[in-house]
Amino acid sequence: MKQENVLEVKNLQTYFYSSEGVAKAVDGVSFTLKKGETLGIVGESGCGKSMTSLSLLRLVPSPPGKIINGEILLNNTDILKLSDEELRKIRGNKISMIFQEPMTSLNPVLSVGEQIAESIRLHQGLSRKEAWQKAVDMIRLVGIPAPEKRAKQEPYQLSGGMRQRIMIAMALACTPDVLIADEPTTALDVTIQAQIIDIIQNLQKQLGMSIIFITHDLGVVAEICDKIAVMYAGQVVEEGTTESLFEKPLHPYTNGLIQSLPKLYEDQEELSTIHGTVPSPYNYPIGCRYAERCPFATDLCRDQQPELLTVEQGKKVRCWMYSNEWQGETLMKELTV
Amino acid sequence: MTTAQHTQPLLQVNDLKQHFFLKKEKLFGPQQVVKAVDGVSFDIMPGETLSIVGESGCGKSTTGRSILRLDEPTAGEVLLFGKNLVNMNKKELRAARKDIQIIFQDPYASLNPRRTIRKMLTEAMSIQKIVPPEQQEARMLELMSLVGLRPEYLERYPHEFSGGQRQRIGIARALAVNPKIIICDESVSALDVSIQAQILNLLKQLQRDLDLTFLFISHDLSVVRHISDRIMVMYLGKVVEIADKHSLFTQPHHPYTKALFSSIPVIDKQHRKERIILKGDLPSPLNPPTGCSFHTRCPFATDKCKAEVPALRAITATHKVACHFAENLV
Repeated sequence: MKQENVLEVKNLQTYFYSSEGVAKAVDGVSFTLKKGETLGIVGESGCGKSMTSLSLLRLVPSPPGKIINGEILLNNTDILKLSDEELRKIRGNKISMIFQEPMTSLNPVLSVGEQIAESIRLHQGLSRKEAWQKAVDMIRLVGIPAPEKRAKQEPYQLSGGMRQRIMIAMALACTPDVLIADEPTTALDVTIQAQIIDIIQNLQKQLGMSIIFITHDLGVVAEICDKIAVMYAGQVVEEGTTESLFEKPLHPYTNGLIQSLPKLYEDQEELSTIHGTVPSPYNYPIGCRYAERCPFATDLCRDQQPELLTVEQGKKVRCWMYSNEWQGETLMKELTV
Repeated sequence: MTTAQHTQPLLQVNDLKQHFFLKKEKLFGPQQVVKAVDGVSFDIMPGETLSIVGESGCGKSTTGRSILRLDEPTAGEVLLFGKNLVNMNKKELRAARKDIQIIFQDPYASLNPRRTIRKMLTEAMSIQKIVPPEQQEARMLELMSLVGLRPEYLERYPHEFSGGQRQRIGIARALAVNPKIIICDESVSALDVSIQAQILNLLKQLQRDLDLTFLFISHDLSVVRHISDRIMVMYLGKVVEIADKHSLFTQPHHPYTKALFSSIPVIDKQHRKERIILKGDLPSPLNPPTGCSFHTRCPFATDKCKAEVPALRAITATHKVACHFAENLV
């Protein structure tokens, strides 16, 4: 069976224009998502992962933000070329999103059932009564006890975990092809996080949707994603299957990130760290954006920006180390010691 | 640990309670009470790091705040070098706080945006009168180098720093008065992993160099595993388990601790555990369950759990659990 790409993002560039200059928040990001696949986008604050996800739905605040280049193909339709009217038909219907803080994305004075029913009425043309019934069903589906009663309650009456489930119910009410989950469990406690991840995974199996999971938590992506894109300073620096990425990270940044996590099953006197801080998006260096912090960097890295190289099928890395021009030491040698 | 048995604990907390009384809904209605911390006791030895873990609302931060009397505790004792902080007057308390400092989660919210770093550090030193004015300059430079900040940053304001740097400033301010024990309340939770690793290394190094004792409050179990000697797990205002970290991680006894550990997402497949998914949410602290407060979510709960509050009891010399069936559940 040939697997179609549900979503294809090509060379996406989202810039922010402010009095300080131009911030290149997303700078040439490309990836693909197949049906039923889960892609994780990871990276630290300011790497552009959230801006990438907002760009996909054209939710970037504009001004100051602007998508200046790229294509976002959802089932071969370019989202960036749609009219507002057409866009509205797709959002929440074919592609929907859940955010980190459900309290700020829910309407505080409307019952949660009504909020879910609203999008069902809008996209599926059901009657009020039918839409309400479907909303209650969705609330049941995400594992909230007494859904009839809960549907009539307002967001403040629910706990954080329940609110996030309502967000999921809302996002999935129209069985979208793609669900974008932007740090959906970051504000939750681990036991509640485990519940939410469990629900998302079960629903994915039932409904067959594709998921983009955006998070800074490497543990979470390791458990739920099929493949992962690591972002740094507005670019994808490494992409590969979850297994290959954690077992054999190619980019020195990916490696640094994994190494700096405290280990749960090992005693360490000292954690390895990444020196320095992320460069300012207003003023990226001309060469590799990670060169300043990279223990392997050579003059080549500082002078010229590396391309995202395909090292093998499905595995890409933006690092000079894997090019023919490379003459310095390599990460793999160090890893095998 | 062998020598520690002969020394006095640096900090002793006995039956600490922090109850918040809510405004009555009706004039003659019942008084509603949130028992945020409900009878917590523990000791910390000099040079040791004890961590408190638990989920939001379990009372871990309130415990830290009550120890310092940032919130006045309802009952209990907090003995710092044998002296009870709870019944000190303001002047005595201020003097005692020289030895016990706190670093918060969000350094931006806890630093005055209108003061330069120099002013902040000077203020801390002047209040405690531990450094004569003529030596303050030298002490400030020493503090800056201790926490890995450049001396010229002294003249800057908090907004000019990154999150990691601000946390370093928070640490410098706590260190300014030469404390013996520092309470770190989610001090690395807001930081990115690479920066978090830098701050954790800094804390460990400072502990070695300055003989510090830490009470480390966090929800992040891998961070806690890294930094602690002993770990205390809290649930709904009570201690459910306390043990040295190896014993706790290899043999957690309390069903809640087990569920908590199994919920941590891990990278390494071979360490991935069968996930115990707990039913439901944390019960409302306004109306905590009878008996063992965990019984509503516990997969092993019996009638005894619903009726009797389990006592925190020792199962080995370094491991205490509050569960009726701790022995049967390993």
